[in-house]
Amino acid sequence: MAIHGGFTGISGYGETVVPIYQTITYCYKTARELADVFAGTAPGYIYSRIANPTTAVLETRLAVLEDGIGCIATSSGMAAIASVMISLADTGSEIIAAAGIFGGTVSLFENTLARFGIKTTFVDIADTNNFAKAINDKTKLIFVETIGNPRMDVPDIPAIADIAHQANVPLIVDNTVTTPCLIKPADFGADIVIHSTSKFINGHGTALGGAIIDTGNYNWANGKFDQMKRLSEKFSRLAFLAYLRNLVYRDLGGCPAPMNSFLMLQGLETLSIRMIKHCENALKLAEFLEAHPKIEWINYPGLYSSIFHKRVTELFSGRGGGLLTFGLGDKQKAYQFIDSLKLARNAANLGDAKTLVIHPASTIFHEFSAGQRQAMKVTDDMIRVSVGIEDFEDIRDDFEQAMEKTFGDKK
Amino acid sequence: MKLVINGKDADINGKLTIIQLLARENVKMPEMVSVELNGEILKRSDFEKKALEDGDAVEFLYFMGGGHGII
Repeated sequence: MAIHGGFTGISGYGETVVPIYQTITYCYKTARELADVFAGTAPGYIYSRIANPTTAVLETRLAVLEDGIGCIATSSGMAAIASVMISLADTGSEIIAAAGIFGGTVSLFENTLARFGIKTTFVDIADTNNFAKAINDKTKLIFVETIGNPRMDVPDIPAIADIAHQANVPLIVDNTVTTPCLIKPADFGADIVIHSTSKFINGHGTALGGAIIDTGNYNWANGKFDQMKRLSEKFSRLAFLAYLRNLVYRDLGGCPAPMNSFLMLQGLETLSIRMIKHCENALKLAEFLEAHPKIEWINYPGLYSSIFHKRVTELFSGRGGGLLTFGLGDKQKAYQFIDSLKLARNAANLGDAKTLVIHPASTIFHEFSAGQRQAMKVTDDMIRVSVGIEDFEDIRDDFEQAMEKTFGDKK
Repeated sequence: MKLVINGKDADINGKLTIIQLLARENVKMPEMVSVELNGEILKRSDFEKKALEDGDAVEFLYFMGGGHGII
């Protein structure tokens, strides 16, 4: 489905690759025809900020892969998260989020959404009951990542889904770092799945993008969301996606460029084999680092010694993803190690075919106070690795020589 | 097999999946259509798997972003 889904040659020329519809708008022969499309009484493209044929194929494929009823693609992962939050939460309402999530998402919740009177409570996933304790009648949604980035913790998604549904609120799961190749959150009770497609789905660091998939699990007509009431009568469980497409997504302008949707489609075609290689290399590197005498600590949920190994087996079919974090004792050694790497690049992205490293405390999390970083378990000695798909021996040799340079001797 | 398609009665020969019905009915922009079968919105992965049965009611739905008028 990643290769063929949703595409049977939309132009009629028999092309084998999805064409790039690099157009802003779409012409109609009569004023009446265009008026009918605006009125929603006839199907048709209007303007590429709202929908575009290239992007529509990407949306269809992602919906199929995530076992959803539909998808809306966005200009970035942050645009996807922001659009969902603005659609579901309003002034005075509350969000519950896992504490160990991506710094950009924390900033959206703590700074931008807080300005509009939306409060977020961050809870440690170590005890799933923390989610139940944090819920009150103002709670509109629960947000988690499949693997918290960068602390690499794995939430008990089925149990959190049960807690959310007992309170009648949707569970939003960010599946960026695992992709549908490792887990379909829909199968474990997620209501909305979010992606930064810029990462593993694109896979080559060439285009920014995001996606919102409605799994069809949540009943938008249950009275929790007044803004979806009329749409639920017309579109049933599609109400949320219709609300986005016709209002929030259209109004905010977070659409992807058609060229970027094309690049995501290229990435999807090789996603499954790349994910296997990312995971294999990450596990081997984690085992190498775990055995290294100079390593202070390592977080990789796929390691047998990880407290999350059982959950990785149950949720991700045993594959621990392509990300890991480890510590060398202090910031100076972390910097020295990063500066000594030759193959791995020092960069803020992840999910690239190339191995990338970063010092999270002084980059992605630099705007947070030392106390906040401590609460998020982003230590000063932490190095994050997005393990690429190079030959593993080349990655290992690079890390080995960087360790020797950092510590001034052989292990 | 008798179906109700967008509220109209239809007589179909042989078995059909949803995706085959979309092609047979020459449905516009299949990449943008959603399908409701007997009141339930289908997952997109069901389009190729789901076989229609006698008496099924099928609705083709679009929400193309014309604006909040439909909200």
